[in-house]
Amino acid sequence: MSQLLRSYLTVAMFGAIGVLLAALLLAISALVRPNRPNADKSKVYESGVDPIGDGWSQSQIRYYVFALLFVIFDVETVFIFPWATQLERYAGFGLLEMGIFVFVLLLGLVYAWRKGVLRWV
Amino acid sequence: MLSTLLASDVVAPFSSPKIDYHALAPELVLAGVIVAVLLADLFLEESKKWVLSTIAGFGLLAAFIPIVTLAVSGHRARSMFGGAYVVDTYSLLVKGIFLLAGYVVVLLSQNYLEEGDYYQGEYYFLLLSSILGMVMMGSSRDLVTIFVSLEFLSIPAYMLAAWRKRDLKSNEAGTKYYLLGVFASAVMLYGMSLLYGDTGTTILKGIGAKLQNGSMSPVAVLGIVFVIIGFAFKVSAVPFHNWAPDTYQGAPTPITAFLSVASKAAGFVALINLIYVAFPHGGDVFQPMIGVMAASTMTLGNVMALRQTNIVRMLAYSSISQGGFILMPLAVAGGKSSGNALTAIVTYLAVYAATNLGLFAVIIAVSRKTRSGEVSSWGGLFSYAPLLGVLATAFLASLAGIPPLGGWVAKFGAFRAVITSGTNWGYALAIVGAVNSVIAFGYYGSLMREIWMKPVPDGDTAPIRTPSSLNAALMICGGATLALGVVPGIILRFSDIIKL
Repeated sequence: MSQLLRSYLTVAMFGAIGVLLAALLLAISALVRPNRPNADKSKVYESGVDPIGDGWSQSQIRYYVFALLFVIFDVETVFIFPWATQLERYAGFGLLEMGIFVFVLLLGLVYAWRKGVLRWV
Repeated sequence: MLSTLLASDVVAPFSSPKIDYHALAPELVLAGVIVAVLLADLFLEESKKWVLSTIAGFGLLAAFIPIVTLAVSGHRARSMFGGAYVVDTYSLLVKGIFLLAGYVVVLLSQNYLEEGDYYQGEYYFLLLSSILGMVMMGSSRDLVTIFVSLEFLSIPAYMLAAWRKRDLKSNEAGTKYYLLGVFASAVMLYGMSLLYGDTGTTILKGIGAKLQNGSMSPVAVLGIVFVIIGFAFKVSAVPFHNWAPDTYQGAPTPITAFLSVASKAAGFVALINLIYVAFPHGGDVFQPMIGVMAASTMTLGNVMALRQTNIVRMLAYSSISQGGFILMPLAVAGGKSSGNALTAIVTYLAVYAATNLGLFAVIIAVSRKTRSGEVSSWGGLFSYAPLLGVLATAFLASLAGIPPLGGWVAKFGAFRAVITSGTNWGYALAIVGAVNSVIAFGYYGSLMREIWMKPVPDGDTAPIRTPSSLNAALMICGGATLALGVVPGIILRFSDIIKL
């Protein structure tokens, strides 16, 4: 029974340390830093340029689709490059596997094409 | 190790892994069907989209064929990829449950989607993807494979929960499910990384050989606790159940049925794989934890269900409390009633799938007429839809565990497992479970009273017209619920076959 409690003591200690650590860091910085609020400090920070408009500005939804399509090809590249360097070693098996992988990704492109997202109206 | 790898010029010759295509056939068939559904959706006109549900339905049945041929082929276990993927009798059984449950969900979805003007092609594509993830989970015997299967089955489910995208409730359902699901994945991954760090392997069998009661390092204890917490979210065990009622209420009803049955069963399958293969000698750590979770899950689920006036929300809490009953045998796994516990859980999953899917089929049928989810809208159901009334009563009685229906066999197995463990934990759990069975009858009974004794709320006694696909789903679930209860022999045979 004591063994059992000791096991869970680890978990409890782990949780307590996690909470304590966060609380401690926040508390120390709150104690050490000076507190002089002014309007410039509470402004939205964007690469040092003065912000224009408010934080809820809208951007074109189409960028989202392009971002998704980019991910498809990005992932493809990430896997194809290392595979290409070892192509001779993996031989026919590797070719088949990569063929299946590219086919599945192509399905995504076909889907995007048929749904008309490749057209910029 | 890394430095030696980098230093060596000699590259070992590559040999392609041996793949047992017969063992992988269910997954391969499903993958083919998924591609077919996606392509068919893209090149079909809007008026012919009904074909998609047919392809999906037959595809699931086609994937069932190799499961049967594998079951009769006589091999006890086929292991692939260095033990990461194992096809044995247990995994075939749970794969069969997933595929049939998926088939019933397709039947439930057919008219719901056609009449609701939803996106059919993507719906069946995502549904099949999620089922493929579950089928893979049945065979996963490796931390990484388990994680991939889990994400494969979860991510389509997040989107399906938010399918009625013009309805705020459905958006809330999808968002809550997604956020908590991702959080659970993160906790679980952290636990997995600790387990890997402590044992140096991701293969469950290898982890099982390293972890021994009494000599476990604190890191391993943390790993076990975190991994189990991750899956506790998936099976909505208290205190990780908060997402379930909102998600179940907001999601389209066929998806609610799917989440509460198949997705939950997949979580239990993962827990079984982990506990029976990776932590069989770690009972000191997981038993008390799962025991406390099981007791609080069934109690809280039942108490909250008593207060609900919306049927789907009531069933959500009922499914939480049923989850507690399924967890109950897991709390004595690893002890001397390990085998009993495994049989009990798998039996419970099969029975629960048949019963709960059936009850959701009745809900979908009734709400076609009443357009309401309130308990009071079921008043006098028997007087104008006698067959639905009788079926609903049978499913409720099965959930409550009344013989001769399936739920009785399931509960009997669960209680037998905890009592034969011979530990005080087991006896305490059995008492909590028994008290909860009585409480549960409170709300199952109140629904039955609505069906049989209350007047029809608005006096509209026109009969309910159910489409043939819904009828088929009702017949399958009703037949299975009755058969599993009347002939428990077909289930008790499992105890001889299922070994992990």
